[in-house]
Amino acid sequence: MHIDQLEKKWATIALGITGLFVSVILASAFFHGIHAPSHVETIDSASLHLSSEFAEDRIGIEEDASGHITVRIVAGRYGFYPQDIVLPTETPLTFRMVSQDVIHGVHIPMTNMSTMIVPGYVAEVKTVLHHAGAYPLLCNEYCGMGHAHMWNNIKVISKAQWDVLKHPQGDASHE
Amino acid sequence: MNNAIEKKLALTHFWVAFGAFALACLMGIYQVIERSGFIGWIQSREVYYASTSTHGVLMAFVLTTFFIMGFGYYVATTTLKLPVWNKTFAWAGFWVSLTGVVLAALPLLTGAASVLYTFYPPMQAHVLFYIGATLLVVGSWFWCVSMLVMYMQWKKANPDQPVPLAMFATTANAILWLWTSAGVAAEVLFQLIPWVLGWVDTIDAGLARTLFAWTLHPIVYFWLIPAYTAFYCLVPKQAGGYLFTDEMARAAFIVLVVFSLPIGFHHLYMDPEQGSGWKLLHAVGTFVVTLPTFITGFTVIASLEIAGRLNGGKGLFGWIGALPWTNPLVLAIILSLLMLIFGGFGGLINASYAMNAMIHNTAWVSGHFHLIFGGTTIIMYFGIAYYFWPVLTGKPLFSNNLALIQLWTWFIGMVILTTPWHILGLLGQPRRIDKVNYNNLLTLSWEPYEITMIFGGLVLVASAGLLIYILAKTQFHVTETYDGEVEYAEPIHEVKSLPAYLNSFSMWNWVIAGYMLIAFGYPIAQFFLMKTYGSSPWGY
Amino acid sequence: MNRLLLSLILAAPALASAAPSSQVAWTPEQLNFVKAGNAQKGRELAAPCTACHGTIGISETPAFPSLAGQLPTYLFKQLQDYADSSRDNPIMTGIAKGLSKQDMADLAAWFASQPASPAAYDSADLKNAETLVTQGDNERLLVPCEVCHGNDGKGQKLDIPALAGQQADYLSATLNAFKDASRHNDVYGKMRLIAKTLTEKEIEELGVYYQDMK
Repeated sequence: MHIDQLEKKWATIALGITGLFVSVILASAFFHGIHAPSHVETIDSASLHLSSEFAEDRIGIEEDASGHITVRIVAGRYGFYPQDIVLPTETPLTFRMVSQDVIHGVHIPMTNMSTMIVPGYVAEVKTVLHHAGAYPLLCNEYCGMGHAHMWNNIKVISKAQWDVLKHPQGDASHE
Repeated sequence: MNNAIEKKLALTHFWVAFGAFALACLMGIYQVIERSGFIGWIQSREVYYASTSTHGVLMAFVLTTFFIMGFGYYVATTTLKLPVWNKTFAWAGFWVSLTGVVLAALPLLTGAASVLYTFYPPMQAHVLFYIGATLLVVGSWFWCVSMLVMYMQWKKANPDQPVPLAMFATTANAILWLWTSAGVAAEVLFQLIPWVLGWVDTIDAGLARTLFAWTLHPIVYFWLIPAYTAFYCLVPKQAGGYLFTDEMARAAFIVLVVFSLPIGFHHLYMDPEQGSGWKLLHAVGTFVVTLPTFITGFTVIASLEIAGRLNGGKGLFGWIGALPWTNPLVLAIILSLLMLIFGGFGGLINASYAMNAMIHNTAWVSGHFHLIFGGTTIIMYFGIAYYFWPVLTGKPLFSNNLALIQLWTWFIGMVILTTPWHILGLLGQPRRIDKVNYNNLLTLSWEPYEITMIFGGLVLVASAGLLIYILAKTQFHVTETYDGEVEYAEPIHEVKSLPAYLNSFSMWNWVIAGYMLIAFGYPIAQFFLMKTYGSSPWGY
Repeated sequence: MNRLLLSLILAAPALASAAPSSQVAWTPEQLNFVKAGNAQKGRELAAPCTACHGTIGISETPAFPSLAGQLPTYLFKQLQDYADSSRDNPIMTGIAKGLSKQDMADLAAWFASQPASPAAYDSADLKNAETLVTQGDNERLLVPCEVCHGNDGKGQKLDIPALAGQQADYLSATLNAFKDASRHNDVYGKMRLIAKTLTEKEIEELGVYYQDMK
């Protein structure tokens, strides 16, 4: 098989470019733990409110002893529940989200908090938010006529404010 | 051979394709205006989603499949110098597919199948939609068989001879389509239809998405390969030159087919039902499949350079101006390659594993595939149509100038439509919304892009109308005759013999099987090994 | 301000009680059970219901809802919720406790099969209600009613109830009950969250709007 010299050079360059991309992706995955959200875990979407993890009084925020926050959200036509969520910046967050009905997507624009919420599965995203403000949580997978109305606002406050609220000055007790 | 049968076969398929295209364009302009929210009285969620669903099905499944089949029949017959294998069989496939389209159109147009062209369960459409989609795909399998039979007939009659490149590519495409459509066929036959008919109560949405992802990437190569076939086998001749290399072209087609299949999970990067290890594996494969496009770019541009220099072009870039820009097929490839640069770049972003989180399911994705498919691929379909129409109808093209205008306006319209669309995605706008309702300041930044997109849509719909006008006028109103035939490009170095791996597919089918087993074996098996909870049907 | 935030944070599951809002979960088994309800049997069981809910399931008393043409899943769930006190009503609680699950499925099948109530009254100026139903209100995070309850107000699977032609008084009373959480059998508080954002006037107008809807 005859391959022109120029073509060989170009093929090498192309291989180099793609090799670079792949190396960066693999390196960031293996050395920095940067992954697409994946956590294969099933759940019965028909009886979420009767489950222990997604019971109505358990959805929302749970902070553990080390300050790590788990945010449990139920997506169902057409909202993300609970609707009032306040989170701190600079804190490791684990979002655990389920769907009551059909496939939803959820994305906080311009952040990496993005995942599909597929009924029958728990979607888990780990991230850290760096800026305080009102973060819209938008559904980005067609889920029916109300899809464009399915959204929520997450209020993000600074870690300092959060600490003051949770542990008011002089109060040595913890949650 | 006067090819009358094959000409009729090709023309009929092309008219179904372009008819679907024209209808879908009208829906497209409605959608872009409706979505902007600027004209109150046309707002309607029901109409919007019925339109988007129909638009998607027509563009992604009807325009493409019928065009590819028509193109394939005529390429096969002219490049192998054989009649179509079995005329009845070929027409039967056409009618099965067309029946499928009509059946699916009924619920689509009446809002009973507003589940979009991806039809993700557990949203459920009317049963006719799924049956129609099935028939469309089954009809296309008739075409695949025809291509394979003709290929094998020729090989038997010409042992050890290099298969003509255009047929090699077309056969590769037929094989690709059989492998590709298996995923969605399994989803429709084993999951969706039993569920819609009530034979089973629930459907596993995770498995459905996985099977659909099997199809979702290679299908775009099924669409692209005819464009690449034109790149390699038609354009160099039209430009007045030679194909830079025949062997590398074959290698590109093979790598394209083999590596487009085991990589579907880049459509599932954000999904919970597949593990990150598998997603990473598919990510690597996705980057491998960019290589044949890099190679194609080189080979094709090199071939164009030869043509330009043969035409008197001098200097580092002078050959570009010396190309016959007034030949519609040559203009089409130039504009196609320009759009390939940006569409391809967007694809690299999408492929980049975790980075996908920034643009997944945002408007960026819609902008991307309109640019790379509606732009790069479809403009080549137009170029091919302008080249084939005189051959198929026996009439010269109604107006070469109008054809050039149509191609330029398609390009300009696509750039105006998709550039803001990409930006909207970077600004976080979700996909598949019918209107912007979010009460957040972020949405204010979206408005100027929404307006710009409307202008893009208007240019495109005018361009689409012009295409149909030119093709119809040529076929029905031109009185002069034309009796030319399709001319295939010759390589600079004539190929007298080829190693088996560049001239047959048996080995590659095994390689594909192996790769698919690795890439999809466990990811599909897992649904049967773990306890899953299916979903009951939901409406929309 | 801080106190407001603090109360928001601590009371984030603000609408929760310790028990789930409803014990009914729409698993495939539950759906099939309701689907298999015997309408003829339901007709026999429904004799005592007519006093309040009308002879053909179309109520003539504003405070009592029509049941004709309602989603069977919704009807079954309400009866079940009454029986296990997820939903409270002095009259219905006692009645529901006397019904078996099969009775409930049969009754649901019977009422669902009856033709729904046609509109009865002239519509007043209901522009506001129409806006809420078709557009919602972005500022209040209020989703348009019709995207769940249907453009025709006929409800949607799995268990979103039909509202068209329903007694206006009953609808308004229901929205008010969700608003003050005295009715709380809506899973994840979806209707409570919605009703909380509505004014008295809007609730009244919405009742009439849906009563008028054919």
